Amino acid sequence: MADFLDQIQRLRESERRVAMATLLAARGGSPRPLGAKLFVGEGGRLLGSVSIGGCVDARVVEHGERLLRGTRAERVTVSVDDVEALELGLACGAEFDLLIEPLSLDDDDPAIAAYSQAAQRSRAGRDVFLATTITQGEVRRVVIDAEADAPAGAFVERIAPPQVLVVVGASDVAVALARMARILGMRVVVVDGREQYATAERFPSGTEVHVGMPSELVRPWLTDGASVVLTSHDYRYELPVLRDALRAPVRFIGMLAGRKRADAVRALLRDEGMPDDALARLHSPIGLDIGGREPEEIALSIAAQLIAVRERKPLARR
Amino acid sequence: MTAPYGATVLEHFRRPRNQRALERPTVVRDGYNPLCGDRVRMELEVAAGRIVAAAFTANACAICTASASMLTERLHGVATADAASISDADMVGAIGETLPAGRIVCVTLPLKALREALSALSPA
Repeated sequence: MADFLDQIQRLRESERRVAMATLLAARGGSPRPLGAKLFVGEGGRLLGSVSIGGCVDARVVEHGERLLRGTRAERVTVSVDDVEALELGLACGAEFDLLIEPLSLDDDDPAIAAYSQAAQRSRAGRDVFLATTITQGEVRRVVIDAEADAPAGAFVERIAPPQVLVVVGASDVAVALARMARILGMRVVVVDGREQYATAERFPSGTEVHVGMPSELVRPWLTDGASVVLTSHDYRYELPVLRDALRAPVRFIGMLAGRKRADAVRALLRDEGMPDDALARLHSPIGLDIGGREPEEIALSIAAQLIAVRERKPLARR
Repeated sequence: MTAPYGATVLEHFRRPRNQRALERPTVVRDGYNPLCGDRVRMELEVAAGRIVAAAFTANACAICTASASMLTERLHGVATADAASISDADMVGAIGETLPAGRIVCVTLPLKALREALSALSPA
């Protein structure tokens, strides 16, 4: 999911006020995760979605435009009630409870301030929770450390630390992967020893780009939950980085290589004393086998594998 | 990993000597080859004009890593003035194989970092 604050930043380019719809509950169908957001700008411009295909978004827009004319929030229920489609079995018949509230897009807006505070606290590396209560059109939010601390009847959102993706080697695959990972809401860190590749201009806005000794630059990021992807395709960086990364509590380690070269890297590390259980953590060849050859296609297969690993799907390993 | 390197390069690349960071280095200098991306860091601990410890870190090719490993072995207990006199030809000779001209820089990169470190010790 795209980061809330990134979405606010994008909205500020064209809007002064928006109505924000937050998915509180869903019955039936294939809903987005609770907490999903749809922003409605003046004139009906949209960002985000509270349903998979946008099937109820048009209904939300009507409420949003109405609420934008005032200052009060509303809890509404919207259902997919296309009777003909339901009878044909072509509609899911889902029903959604939503909080729709007007936001001014400045930092003083209470909702934006609350999400900013939660995001800042989660960046320390642990989950925080945002508890929202709605009373007679008034919305109150409080950032709490434990879900159990939420006030009675509150809607609670878990604000997880952004998934960190460390990319070693500022190759064209890295450029495409950084772009996709940013869309997926990840915090992207790119490191390379080569200053002509690791430039801010080559990477999407918000990517952290570092030049220096790669094995040292990655060390602070080798933490629980991080993913490390080596796209340098060069043992001079791969070996020093893998010596640390394979012993660190990271979620995922993958290396761009054919099977033969990957096995040679494993053999060399094994010869140095790297334990087999650590070597078994290395995903190489990397990416789901979708047959792509272009940098963007390879990046897509890697991004898909990162999601599969996060969701513990069996296809996560080749 | 099946590059046609000689036994000396392979031995020092697979089992590099003194590849670590010193706890209390007197001087540290980095070498960088922008053409290939090799990076090497030389660290020296110096007492009474002698190198009492030398270590390196490399994110570099096999030849450069082997060269740094061999150089640090050679530096232990050596007077800084003598260390400064180690020549490019000395290191190329120590590698013990005929290298293409384009790879000589891989051998000499650690030596370049060493010379900068030694210069920092005794500014002119």
